[in-house]
Amino acid sequence: MQSTLTNEGLVAARSLSRTSLLAHLRAFWAVTWREWYHFVRYPTWVIAFVIWPILFPAMYIMGAFSLAGPQGTGITRFTEVTGTANYLGYIVVGTTVWMWANTMLWNTGLVLREERMRGTLESNWMSPTSRFFFVLGAGPVHAATMLMFVFATVVEFRLFFGTQFNANLGTLLVVALCSMPALYGLGFSFASLVITAREANTFVFLIRGLVMIFCGITYPLSVMPAWMQSVSTWLPPTIIIRAARAAALNNAPLSSLTSDLTLLLIHGAVWLSLGYILFTLIERSARRKGSLGSY
Amino acid sequence: MSEYAIEAEHLVKKFPRKAPAEEQNGRKKVKFTWPFKRTPASFFTAVDDVNLQIERGEIFGLLGPNGAGKSTTIRMLCTLLEPTSGTARVNGYDTVREPALVRQSLGTVLAGERSIYWKLTGRENLEYFAALYHIPPDVARKRINELLERMELTARANELVEKYSTGMRQRIVLSRALLARPPILLFDEPTLGLDPQAARRTREIVLELKKEGHTILLTTHYMEEADQLSDRIGIIDQGKIIALDTPASLKRRINQQEVIKMEVSGWKPEMAERVQSIQGVSNLVTRYLGVDSTWELNLHTENSRAILPRVIEQVNYNGTHLVNMNILEPTLEDVFINLTGKALRD
Ligand SMILES: Nc1ncnc2c1ncn2[C@@H]1O[C@H](COP(=O)(O)OP(=O)(O)OP(=O)(O)O)[C@@H](O)[C@H]1O
Ligand SMILES: [Mg+2]
Repeated sequence: MQSTLTNEGLVAARSLSRTSLLAHLRAFWAVTWREWYHFVRYPTWVIAFVIWPILFPAMYIMGAFSLAGPQGTGITRFTEVTGTANYLGYIVVGTTVWMWANTMLWNTGLVLREERMRGTLESNWMSPTSRFFFVLGAGPVHAATMLMFVFATVVEFRLFFGTQFNANLGTLLVVALCSMPALYGLGFSFASLVITAREANTFVFLIRGLVMIFCGITYPLSVMPAWMQSVSTWLPPTIIIRAARAAALNNAPLSSLTSDLTLLLIHGAVWLSLGYILFTLIERSARRKGSLGSY
Repeated sequence: MSEYAIEAEHLVKKFPRKAPAEEQNGRKKVKFTWPFKRTPASFFTAVDDVNLQIERGEIFGLLGPNGAGKSTTIRMLCTLLEPTSGTARVNGYDTVREPALVRQSLGTVLAGERSIYWKLTGRENLEYFAALYHIPPDVARKRINELLERMELTARANELVEKYSTGMRQRIVLSRALLARPPILLFDEPTLGLDPQAARRTREIVLELKKEGHTILLTTHYMEEADQLSDRIGIIDQGKIIALDTPASLKRRINQQEVIKMEVSGWKPEMAERVQSIQGVSNLVTRYLGVDSTWELNLHTENSRAILPRVIEQVNYNGTHLVNMNILEPTLEDVFINLTGKALRD
């Protein structure tokens, strides 16, 4: 039977959807709380907060203990090149900042991968919400969890090793804020890869390993050959770790870090623009090739 | 209000196909390829020149076997895929040029129940998607309560979706699609994987939604479902719409035909040729029933009286014998068999 309904019997052609600036903000916030609920509802996060802050730096610290010798007699050389005798603090700040940068950077892209595995990517992407929000919206959750992680690290190291931090908290906060655009930007570029390439994971591990060697998380850059040092200069994590050490161990005032922070912001501008362009292009190509929903 | 709810003109979707692995000595030769390296493009046409004009207020069923291109068509309409060529308009908006307006006009359910968050409660899921659909909070709150009530989920709305039954999940998925009260609904295999009772409930809801004045495009490979729900049906095979009409007229097309359904025990596939060669048999489709080597034979003919004796003679041969036989009115499946010479599902 052919439908003979007249217009009166129909659902209004305009749905309840009302796009506005406020509606966009609400959508962004929704992505944020969705991620937060997922974070707290998987109990593994407890392990992440209690075990990892100690476990990851531990192997470097044991190495440092043995190299420093009894009564730390071997430490003079370290003090010479780093300007601090607090090698525990030096290592802990390095590893912690490294983990923080890592989370910000990779998780930005991994959010999409995770959505694909959950099977919810497509039901999100067919809503009127901007596709950038699905990448960016998880950012505040990562920042918050990482803050908790840093806090746990400080507490645990004071408790178990009696490590002293001579931190300028204000400076530290500014360093964290200034490094966000660069990390987000890199994360965005990486998120674009995740949409297209299934091999992305192998790639991540490769890059992660390389960056780890280059950016001096547990040793000063000066111990590396010159060519490696010149590569390091261009990696945002190197700058972040350097600035964070100054702020956390030497109580550095903000003014002493202006050059590093400016450099970070420039990195941020470049990588954010690049990431934005890449993401736009690749999202379009995924829609053409049909590589979006496959998992 | 534009005339049609959904309009597709010469819609085509081609997917890049990876070159098949070379065969060597019967073994697959795995070639080393660089990651991210592009293999030379060859294309596979999933949707091939589809034209549709779906009226407001009608239920349109897209019926076709696996891989026919149903889901691909839906994905193009809901802006998840861009057509290779051709255009589609939803609620009067172009799917490529005005995707935001298209998304606001649509409620889509893709196949599979994983399209909601299992680690959120039913209510949280709806609140989340209401925000993504830009529904003002006060409107959303009312709408969510209304939908939970309607889907009989109010009592369990605050439990995690992972604790729900498949049928309950499907009702949350349906509610998600209905949140914005969109004029047009796209349902891709809405009853797939549901138990008979949940499937029946889903079909009831679809009919209710039509009564409320929604336009519905649904895909299915169950002909009974298409027959029961749809005002009009498009039969799709290998990306092409090969017939489009009301269920009644589709069946009327082969009205001169009669369908003989036989159950034969001990049937051997080689025997098909002999039955098919009987004069007056226009189509023969066989299906293994899975018990006691019993097969079902579906035979189309214009005159059953004339051919029956010879068919029975061929079937009761060398240890095989007829177990059951019926002469039936043609169904949509027979329409499909008549058009393509193969069964809708195996
Ligand atoms: N993203 C993709 N990339 C490559 N090929 C695809 C993609 N999506 C679908 N195809 C192919 O296109 C064809 C049509 O698929 P589609 O999912 O539209 O079929 P369908 O009618 O929905 O079938 P089913 O009943 O199995 O769901 C299939 O052969 C499928 O393998
Ligand atoms: Mg499908």
